[in-house]
Amino acid sequence: MDKLFILAIIIFLATYVIIITEKYHRTIIAMFGASLMVLLGIVNQERAIEGVDFNTLGLLIGMMVIVSIAKDSGMFQYVAIKAAKFGQGDPKKIFILLAGIVAVFSALLDNVTTVLLMVPVTLVVTNNLKVRPKPFLIATILLSNIGGASTLIGDPPNIMIGSAVGLSFNDFIVNLFPVTFIIGVATVAILAFIYRKEFVFNQDAKDAIMKFKPNEAITNKKLLWKSLLVLGIVLLGFFTHGSTHLEGATIALFGAALLLLMTVHEPEHNLREVEWTTIFFFVGLFILVTGLEEVGALHMMAGKIIEMTQGNVVSTTMVVLWFSAIFSAIVDNIPFVATMIPLIKDIGSITGMDLTPLWWALALGADIGGNATIVGASANVVVSGIAGREGHKIGFVEYLKIAVPMTTIAMVICTGYIYVRYLM
Amino acid sequence: MIAQNKEHLINKYMQTKVNTLSPDDTFAEAIKKMLEAKTNGMVVVNKDFKIEGILSSWDLIQYLVPDYLEEDKHLASFESADVFAKRALEIKDEPVSKFMTKSVHTCNSSDSLMEAAIILSEFKIRQLPVVDENNKLVGYINRTDIKRAIGDVLNLQ
Repeated sequence: MDKLFILAIIIFLATYVIIITEKYHRTIIAMFGASLMVLLGIVNQERAIEGVDFNTLGLLIGMMVIVSIAKDSGMFQYVAIKAAKFGQGDPKKIFILLAGIVAVFSALLDNVTTVLLMVPVTLVVTNNLKVRPKPFLIATILLSNIGGASTLIGDPPNIMIGSAVGLSFNDFIVNLFPVTFIIGVATVAILAFIYRKEFVFNQDAKDAIMKFKPNEAITNKKLLWKSLLVLGIVLLGFFTHGSTHLEGATIALFGAALLLLMTVHEPEHNLREVEWTTIFFFVGLFILVTGLEEVGALHMMAGKIIEMTQGNVVSTTMVVLWFSAIFSAIVDNIPFVATMIPLIKDIGSITGMDLTPLWWALALGADIGGNATIVGASANVVVSGIAGREGHKIGFVEYLKIAVPMTTIAMVICTGYIYVRYLM
Repeated sequence: MIAQNKEHLINKYMQTKVNTLSPDDTFAEAIKKMLEAKTNGMVVVNKDFKIEGILSSWDLIQYLVPDYLEEDKHLASFESADVFAKRALEIKDEPVSKFMTKSVHTCNSSDSLMEAAIILSEFKIRQLPVVDENNKLVGYINRTDIKRAIGDVLNLQ
């Protein structure tokens, strides 16, 4: 075997292992591995830069800027407080409403942003209700990943898939929303049943909740209207980009620039709030995967998978779905999806099979599989971090006991959905 | 007579009676000692009188506020009223070392007053612990002490 081939695989695997063991920060090690790929001549710099999907990066950066400005208006807290009041102080109703809001927010925002906005308000509401916050927090984790799976912009794997394959915002909604909706409803219903004894109604709590004035959550009315306007324009842009052929990054970055133009004089602070460590992580991964592609390793892997599934669409799709779910439950889904995209493209070019079901299987497996463990997705880690600091530590096994069955049910629903809709 | 030739050293103006806490003292003990001493700041020292940190009323108050409210201030008006008491009871046994300010500016008792004045004004702090050559706490100097020294120079007292 060729020296570069072996070198590329060693660098890639070593990087992966170090990312999993968390010995170094994932961004640092991805950048290090990527620069080794270029430095050692596995891929030249020009190819490496071509391998970076700037559409994905632009979309992420644009949305991060928009949210960093819009969140200061208090609009997200307003919605949650309003829901608590709408639920009339009934813990079960409020549980269902908050879970629904998490799903909707995370379909439109990044999952971590969603939980960072929702956990504080959830704690405030449960303190008022005098109920244990843990069921609410577990629902927040599960629904953030389920909601995120339903749109192009809801979860980074979807952004990557949409960008690489040319699937539009509406493609994602039409194909993924029906199944994520069913999973979301099933999840909330089962959780509400499991925790039914904890949702004790309390008249004092109801009085406290009914005294809420949601308007107090709005800290800046002008900013609120401007943010809503820009979010509206961005959403409209996404809904129509199938026909306008505008790329996601164009829409998100335009929205970011527009909101900056309308609200900010000195952009330094807002641009600093972009999660550059995540962006650089993506850059590193794209280059690492390009290295593997360049030496033909992914092509070889694709061949092995086809051999295993004998080129059968049904079995290939199911392998992708379940493998993605199991893998994403244990490790970060971003590097996994970055690797799988060119690999699935290779499967398509070798066999000529219709890749559509495979893309949806990859997205669903990677997004929802992350629910199974407390370290399966960044949102899970963030929620358990805040919960721990507030004295509601969510234990690893404690979480597994709820999350593994819930995730398994979700994946069974996905299996049925994909089979009936695309493979029958 | 104007005292312009006199050397103004910290040890001449510092207070030698310092309110101290041990890093193992609890949140409750810290509150009690501060209330008794009617002070808003205490120096945290180990058993050898070496400085481990400084504890101000701000540190105590900030620790009482849960992180999630600190991050999302507009939620404060919705928080349940009993969270204040609940939180105080929750943290009452936690050691001072968990919420004290660990990086402490100090000055040496043989330093000039200008040194203390510079540190006080640059970091906008109210009082500065004073240590001897072995880094042991021997006193503290505050803004009033500096003013007293200026008063002496200008012969105002």
